[in-house]
Amino acid sequence: MSNSELQALSAAMADAVQVAGAALVTVDARPRFPASGVVTAPGLVLTASHVIHLDEIKVTLPDGEELAAELLGRDPHSDLALLKLSAAKGSSAQTNTSPQVGQLALALGRPTAEGVQASLGIVSAIGGPLRSHHGGLLESYLRTDAIPYPGFSGGPLVDAEGRVLGINTSGLGMGASLAIPAKLAWTIARAIEEHGGVKRGYLGIRSQLAEISEPARAALKRQQSSGLLVMGIEQDSPAAAAGLIVGDLIVAFAGQPVADHDELLLQLNSGVVGKAVELELLRGGLPHVVKITIGEHEPAVEHGMHGRHGHRHRGWRR
Amino acid sequence: MPLLFDSPAAVAAARPSLVAVFARRFGAGAGILWSADGLVLTNHHVLGRQSPRVMLVDERSFAAEVIATDEEIDLALLRIPAADLPAARIADSTRLRVGELVFTLGHPWGQRNAASLGIISHLASAQTRGPRGLIPVIRTDARLAPGNSGGPLLNGAGEVVGINTLIVGGDQGVAIPSAVALDFISKIKVGVNSLQ
Repeated sequence: MSNSELQALSAAMADAVQVAGAALVTVDARPRFPASGVVTAPGLVLTASHVIHLDEIKVTLPDGEELAAELLGRDPHSDLALLKLSAAKGSSAQTNTSPQVGQLALALGRPTAEGVQASLGIVSAIGGPLRSHHGGLLESYLRTDAIPYPGFSGGPLVDAEGRVLGINTSGLGMGASLAIPAKLAWTIARAIEEHGGVKRGYLGIRSQLAEISEPARAALKRQQSSGLLVMGIEQDSPAAAAGLIVGDLIVAFAGQPVADHDELLLQLNSGVVGKAVELELLRGGLPHVVKITIGEHEPAVEHGMHGRHGHRHRGWRR
Repeated sequence: MPLLFDSPAAVAAARPSLVAVFARRFGAGAGILWSADGLVLTNHHVLGRQSPRVMLVDERSFAAEVIATDEEIDLALLRIPAADLPAARIADSTRLRVGELVFTLGHPWGQRNAASLGIISHLASAQTRGPRGLIPVIRTDARLAPGNSGGPLLNGAGEVVGINTLIVGGDQGVAIPSAVALDFISKIKVGVNSLQ
């Protein structure tokens, strides 16, 4: 690459910051230091859940206009929150829903009135599912080596053309900085807009990983070597209503194999609340099927984590 | 597309104008050859009790005279008795954009003439402890360490856009913009002329 190409790349990155900066707003809803947010549609702002502490939310558009905002809902599992502005203003961000490890990425934020801020890195890894606090599950995430400066949470990770690869947050995991991929983030935003939150399924069981014996595998006609052994059942839970008993070994959910906890949580997160689903089991060593009506997971505990108290990782959250 | 940074071109263009400034018992700061006839710009805080020595990239070393220092903007102008020096090319920092590629040159942790890559993170302002009040500052995500102080922040063409001055939070560099440095130097020259 010649020096002029280097300058072209430099100009392209500055353009990307400008393009993405048009949909990047300041979200002021916590004491001390404001954070950032991304306009998904005129009047709608996606941000990080952990930066929303106060009932009074103020959003500042790139042109400096201040608007009051209302919290439409939050999803603590992905640390996302959706805000509705008092007017249908702001220009929507473009997304890139096929991130690639190694591609250039800019982390952006606008925590102050002094304009957009940026740091450079690459998409370091695409991962998931990731277990967050309290048994929550993040379906997928992006990791970047771009530095998350204070107030970048809720801002975008963008590609070299200024399209949003993900929403930055340092509110998940132990100080690690992640981005929620655009596809997942926009899906969650839609769920919050339509239902006030993401409905994540609930069975009411405690379970542990257990091996499936060779003969049982043959009887099930399944390849997997493990399933989930039911260790406990909550009273009045969907599992109790469906007649699940301790000692059942869950091997499939709605026809999809369940070889570990993450696979079950992924199924429960896939919009199944209220539906009757076939759960495939080994009971007494024999294949068995029960129909279970999926309940809704109450995110009551998580709210405590993101409220005014209990900031275990405050020093890391940016 | 594989990443192909030809930083060598940009860095090679600027490296000859990088100097090391020794003014303390331990360690060295960096500096910039500002003119072919021996003006060297560095940080005020790089200077110490000892009279400064300036070492060029070609290992020549000179005793330097302190012409002016300004603690408020942390800049100092020195002069070395030499001519035909490879002066740095200076760019207009007021035209910078957030997201632009930048390089640093300096002596981080004593590693002579080392470069690092980053971008312009923020075009901000900072309150000074002096009559200027607010001055513009450049924030960058390029890695800086002790020994970078006084060295150049360079654009993709290898031109000086700032003087690396501070590290905040361990992961953000702060540079004094070239416009502030030019203003500092022009006022000194005015002062010198008026004495004559």
